[in-house]
Amino acid sequence: MQVKVKPEDQTAASFESRVSAWVDGQGDIRSEVLDSPYGRQVWDTYHLIGDVLRSDDLAHKPSDLFYARVSRAIDAEPAILAPQRHAPLLKRVGLPGLVVAAAVATVVWVALPYLSTPANEAAAPVHIVAAAEDTDVSDYIDAHRQFAGANPIRRVSFDGGAAR
Amino acid sequence: MVGGILRAGLLAFSCLLMAPVALAQSNTETQDDAFELLQKAQLAARQSDYDGVFTYQQGATMQSSRVVHLVDGTGERERLEILDGAPREFILQDDMVHCLLPEKKVVVIEDRRIDRFPSLLIGQAEGLADFYSFHMAGTPERVAGRQCVLVDVIPKDEHRYGYRLCIDSQTHLLLKAQTLDTDRKVVDQIAFTSVRLGNDVRADQIESAWDTKDWKTVRPIVTPIDIASLGWRIAPLPGFDYVTQISRPMRSGATVKQLVLSDGLAAISVFIEAVSETQERKALPKGGARTGAINIYGARIGDHWFTAIGEVPSGTLRELADHTEYVPLAVPSN
Repeated sequence: MQVKVKPEDQTAASFESRVSAWVDGQGDIRSEVLDSPYGRQVWDTYHLIGDVLRSDDLAHKPSDLFYARVSRAIDAEPAILAPQRHAPLLKRVGLPGLVVAAAVATVVWVALPYLSTPANEAAAPVHIVAAAEDTDVSDYIDAHRQFAGANPIRRVSFDGGAAR
Repeated sequence: MVGGILRAGLLAFSCLLMAPVALAQSNTETQDDAFELLQKAQLAARQSDYDGVFTYQQGATMQSSRVVHLVDGTGERERLEILDGAPREFILQDDMVHCLLPEKKVVVIEDRRIDRFPSLLIGQAEGLADFYSFHMAGTPERVAGRQCVLVDVIPKDEHRYGYRLCIDSQTHLLLKAQTLDTDRKVVDQIAFTSVRLGNDVRADQIESAWDTKDWKTVRPIVTPIDIASLGWRIAPLPGFDYVTQISRPMRSGATVKQLVLSDGLAAISVFIEAVSETQERKALPKGGARTGAINIYGARIGDHWFTAIGEVPSGTLRELADHTEYVPLAVPSN
């Protein structure tokens, strides 16, 4: 989602988008910029695109010249399919970061209910851990007993690992 | 002298005022007296001299230990010797516990002291009266040849077990403690079978028989953590507060987060660890389980295992798991 604009693209893009903006009636038209074969072509192309977008009738009689112009325009600037403006562009660059952060913050993990699986449903909700001595559970129980107050049974929970 | 007269006057005055509510008052007084007695028992466990053998019994298991506790010029010293099974000794000095493993010639040093029998309360235990009511029996009991006062500690909700305690009438040392489940059945019990008190305690008994001079010393790396800042939201159970929040190594070598919650009498440990680290592990229970008097509840929360262990009703552990959320912390994007 992150949109990055490289400086070298910006010069090319800015000419196209400036022309696009002028066609849309925004900003002061600087005719000297358009006073070149390419400039006029872009100007015409954007007008054509605008006309086609506004009226279906114009799309019915495409001339060869129209095709040529459009394809040349597309070749010249394939990235710009819709006119872009600078101010909204900055907003689009700025937003995704916040959106991602907000999305991450809404992920909340909760306990999975184990008793819902068919295998466990048959079993009693509480099962007895048999000889706890040799299972890993005993390690956790010992760790708990370190803090369990009145409970007297006292083992060192690091017998194996730490002491080996 | 003036203070004494003033206090006597106030007392007489308040007696006149309080006469109509005497019944309610006496009940609160019993509560206060009993709670005070528990605190005296806690002090006695820490500040008096005793040397005794006590036995823990749960179901078919029984284990005896000998405790020697002395308070001298160097402070509080204690030697706890396990009498059944593999020999173990726990020596308390300067708020550090040395755990002796004779067959491995290893001393494990724990940097924190944890009170245990005949100590009773965990942490400050200030809110105890909000979650338990106390009843003192009129007739004294007799345990380990000594006369003691029976205190019934009854839970006010279903989150915790009850206790029946016998506290030495003279020295206030706890002589016997029973854990009672919600049906008032004994879950487990612990009691002195014989005990010497005060001047009868011989100072040389505090010394260990083991010479640990050339034993290996192990100091497990235990780091304090703040679980909330790691993205865990654990809705507190009524009355339970955090006593400890640490990151610690387990026997498997994995590092696990351990939180200890207590209401002053009951303790619950919550272990949290990443799933990937424990894939090889044998069976940590999923759902409810029980071993002896201890209930266990395991659940998977996101990519973590959540295991709660404690001498509390299994529903309490389940509730804790159900009210735990993990919200992975957002990584700053810019």
